[in-house]
Amino acid sequence: MSTVAERSAARKRAKLEQQALDWADDRFGSSKWVRSALDKIFPDHWSFMVGEIAMYCFVLLIATGIYLALFYKASDAVVIYHGPYKPLDGQSMTEAFASTLNISFSVRAGLVMRQAHHWAANIFLAAVAFHMCRVFFTGAFRRPREVNWVIGVTLLLIAMLEGFSGYSLPDDLLSGSGLRVVFSIVQSIPLVGPWLAFNVWGGAFPGTVFFARLFVIHEFLFPLALAGLLGGHLAILWHQKHTDFAGPGKTEHNIVGSRLWPQYTIKSTALLMFIAAVIFGLGGLIQINPIWVYGPFEAARASAGTQPDWYVGWLDGGLRLWPHWEFRSFGHEIPNPFFPGIVLPGIVFNVIYVWPWIDKRLFGDYEEHNLLDRPRDKPLRTAIGVAALLFFFDLTLASATDLIGNALQMSFELLIEILQYGSFIGPIVGGIIAYRTCVLLKNTDAHPIQRPVGGIMVRDARGGYHTLGASHDGHNGSEGHEGNGHDGNGHDGNGHDGSAHSEGTTLERAAGPHSGED
Amino acid sequence: MTTNKLVARRAKNSSGSRLRHALVGPAALVGAAMAMFAVLFWTAAAPAQMKPVTLSPVSIQAGQTLFDQHCAACHGVGGIGGRGPELLNVGAAAVDFFVSTGRMPLSSPNLEPTSHAPFFNKNQIADIVAYVNALDIEHGTPGPGIPDITPACNNETPTCPTLSEGNSLFMMNCAQCHDASGSGGLLSHGYVVPSLRQATRTQVGEAVRVGPRPMPNWGPGQFTDQQVSAIADYVYYLGHTPDPGGLGIAHFGPVPEGFVGVIFGLGVLLLCSRLIGNRG
Amino acid sequence: MTATKSPKIFTGTHGPDDGAGEATPWPDDVPPDQDDTWYPLRDDPWRAKRMEYFIAFLWVIAGGCAVGFVIVYLLGGQAELEGLLLLFAFGLLGTGLVLWARNLIPGHDVIASRGTDHRTSDPEERAAVVESLSRGTDAMMSRRGFLVKKVLVPVGGIFGLAAIFPLASLGARPGQALYHTKWYKGARLVTEDNVALHVDDIMVDGIMTVFPEGYIDDPTSPVVVLNIGGDPIKARTGQAGFEVISGANGIVAFSKICTHAGCAVSLFNVLSMQLICPCHQSTFNILQDAAPAFGPAPRPLPQLPLGVRSDGYLIALSDFIEPIGPGFWNRSGD
Repeated sequence: MSTVAERSAARKRAKLEQQALDWADDRFGSSKWVRSALDKIFPDHWSFMVGEIAMYCFVLLIATGIYLALFYKASDAVVIYHGPYKPLDGQSMTEAFASTLNISFSVRAGLVMRQAHHWAANIFLAAVAFHMCRVFFTGAFRRPREVNWVIGVTLLLIAMLEGFSGYSLPDDLLSGSGLRVVFSIVQSIPLVGPWLAFNVWGGAFPGTVFFARLFVIHEFLFPLALAGLLGGHLAILWHQKHTDFAGPGKTEHNIVGSRLWPQYTIKSTALLMFIAAVIFGLGGLIQINPIWVYGPFEAARASAGTQPDWYVGWLDGGLRLWPHWEFRSFGHEIPNPFFPGIVLPGIVFNVIYVWPWIDKRLFGDYEEHNLLDRPRDKPLRTAIGVAALLFFFDLTLASATDLIGNALQMSFELLIEILQYGSFIGPIVGGIIAYRTCVLLKNTDAHPIQRPVGGIMVRDARGGYHTLGASHDGHNGSEGHEGNGHDGNGHDGNGHDGSAHSEGTTLERAAGPHSGED
Repeated sequence: MTTNKLVARRAKNSSGSRLRHALVGPAALVGAAMAMFAVLFWTAAAPAQMKPVTLSPVSIQAGQTLFDQHCAACHGVGGIGGRGPELLNVGAAAVDFFVSTGRMPLSSPNLEPTSHAPFFNKNQIADIVAYVNALDIEHGTPGPGIPDITPACNNETPTCPTLSEGNSLFMMNCAQCHDASGSGGLLSHGYVVPSLRQATRTQVGEAVRVGPRPMPNWGPGQFTDQQVSAIADYVYYLGHTPDPGGLGIAHFGPVPEGFVGVIFGLGVLLLCSRLIGNRG
Repeated sequence: MTATKSPKIFTGTHGPDDGAGEATPWPDDVPPDQDDTWYPLRDDPWRAKRMEYFIAFLWVIAGGCAVGFVIVYLLGGQAELEGLLLLFAFGLLGTGLVLWARNLIPGHDVIASRGTDHRTSDPEERAAVVESLSRGTDAMMSRRGFLVKKVLVPVGGIFGLAAIFPLASLGARPGQALYHTKWYKGARLVTEDNVALHVDDIMVDGIMTVFPEGYIDDPTSPVVVLNIGGDPIKARTGQAGFEVISGANGIVAFSKICTHAGCAVSLFNVLSMQLICPCHQSTFNILQDAAPAFGPAPRPLPQLPLGVRSDGYLIALSDFIEPIGPGFWNRSGD
């Protein structure tokens, strides 16, 4: 109910808006596009926002990253530290490390920015991984979205490398040990390994030019690639429209959700605010990567608890689990780290990249899909996904064997052996369980929590108890109970309408006493 | 000064002032004996930066009682050994370390010694140390004494070279087992490396000198007493300085950080998404 | 923009219905009778007003937190406070936005067409594209594509390869760098503080990290020197006699660079006489000449040949007899 004043204000506003749009349209002819953009529909399911979480984390990474880049010195030059952190006072270190200490202790709000940046990176990758799993398990990569899947996997790969290069920039002992391992992995590549490693590092490890290069890679090359690919990812999504779950009123040819303006814009901005809240909250309240404790990297030093950030954990775990095999003949060798360090991620990413086409073959489904599968609708795909996740989880656990052993008072020998077997037993068993669960759920066609599966007991007028709708395969529970006052149609003697429990299709059951749920 | 030095000095004065001309021979004998004792006590009980161990007979007697009750079953009466190792040349530092960290007494001989709340109180510990120290002196080859470590700097000094040296030594020699943050770690065969964040400076110094197995040891030829002190000072700093960046989580590096980031950080954001979006 | 009901004729952004009817709606076309001015509190102005005030309240507090952040900054900054204030500033702003969108803003559950029939182009349009393309390719591929296939593509490939070559300036060739360390005959073993080690300095069950004198910063040369007492070492081929026996002391030295992936092998388990690498738990049996006992390391740690100088200092007798550290393609086997 608008008042006169409100209506007149609205008219004035509309006039201003018209003027602005006219200005733009005179130059760009943009009205049609602007209108379609403003009116665009985005489905509202909460799990579709996870990709957005990743995107906004990226935005915040850029913002905090620019701030950090203004203070960081990408230099291998050796300096003597004289600053507020007493235990390192007088020690020699690279300028890279010293400048990171400077950001942490001498730049106001620097520590919050640095920690927020690192937390944002961890959450960014978690969101990307979760998003990718959501896309996988719901079959959103199917035609026509295969290219977007390929772009997405590339985004994941570059994001992992970006994160790794980022936390290696301070040249602390922890990340420096990680760089040493990567150098050894590159060195292990047959034929070209040493040449390639010396090329990237500008000489033997650790070299004297590496951090300037890492800076270029981390600040420039990878963010450009990420931004460009992200733009493509969003453009394709924009054009093809987001997929959606099946539901009442939804078809392959329509889309239900919020309009971009104003509903989705405001909600999306709210999400950005929440992400900023979490990231800056963590950045100030929970310590991450205390490089001053690790100290500057030196090749002769090492620390217990040398693990990479969580998203690289599976690779580090692979290095710990892979047995000590090495292949030597005719004066050449394929060193041990080559297999878990190059071959394993190579196979993993290749499979992930071509998955849409494997999926098509597997299910014989070359059709276009705008509606999503529920995970239970494709038990085989879900089982494979669960198996893969269990595999990565096993390897990630393996990267923390010394910490787990310390906490549980177990030897790492036993832990590693368990995880070695677990790396294939776990996925197989987990995959089978997932498969069976999907098949079971599919047959009931209702989530067990929403809908009781099994019998319903009723008491008739004479005091006897009877079970109706006995099992989940649609048995007519009233068979054999005629003698107790039931008629053959499933109505019991109390006048209950047993239609929910009579023989019937799953749709009819769904229309029974529990109708009203999805 | 120990009582024995006073005894020695008094003896020398009385012999020097009264019977100088008549009793040169016996005086010389006594003097030599005193000198021998003095040398023994000096090397055993009070070199530079060692905490002196009491030689009071009361304390030693009390220590013997406790020892016979709680230790002799494995270490033998008089510390000659048995199921447990003999203690005749372990030194005061070892005894003080093992007992004050609760590693000893072991409740069962099959267990590995691990850090616990100490079984004895401070006075009892001092008594036991005194007793075993006396045994060591008798036997003639006592091990490392208890290092006397005083904090090198306070919060007001802008720099602290000792802390810096301690950091450097710790990172090169200790961090690989005990973790850069002193939180502990894991050796082969399931030996858990304990956290140092609650250790006292003295306990750290003792452990470095004694090398409670499976830990290696560092003798005076490897670290000077000043260096041991610096390491102990730095370890204390690690465990007793507030974390500048907020809550330290578990001080174990990227693993707990990853937990927090993925499960808590993303979890909260997924909850926010559920609040913003639909569930259908 | 005030929301108006979509007029019956103009059902979308692509202009009036092209006569084909609703069977082929365009992307984002909406059913003409859809009311998208609705929002949950539209018909409840009193609750709407209260909601607006509540949102305003949240936003004002958020603003206050932002001001608080500035004040903390000006007073010298403090990480936890800054984080807390930013948490609330952003969080309350976001909460207000969500409440606003869910309760006071229209545009919920709007249905529109995907325009699937129009998302892809007609066969005629596709054919027209092929025609435009072929205009070019037909001419370019004259004489069965001689110019393009047989000349341009190979030359392009050569250009591409040539363009990669400046990247080679990034790095030195490995040369002999992976085969040698800075250890030399007669080099004293010195600690990080440049203190040379005497043969008696290390206690039994003691370990020190040492470097060749003059090369304390060299990353390939760190060595762990241990006193293993009287325990005999079962030497590997070519490394017999590398240790120094002096009284009750048995001094041995191994490369500290792990043969798996290059981390510093420094954990010393005195009870099992093992060296352990913290990165991937490679474990080496000291008494088997640092042979790998567990974990991914494929080769033993190379042993440094030790000697004692006349003045009692520990020295190296030569460099290691094999390359240290992780493997590589040309590493001659062992």
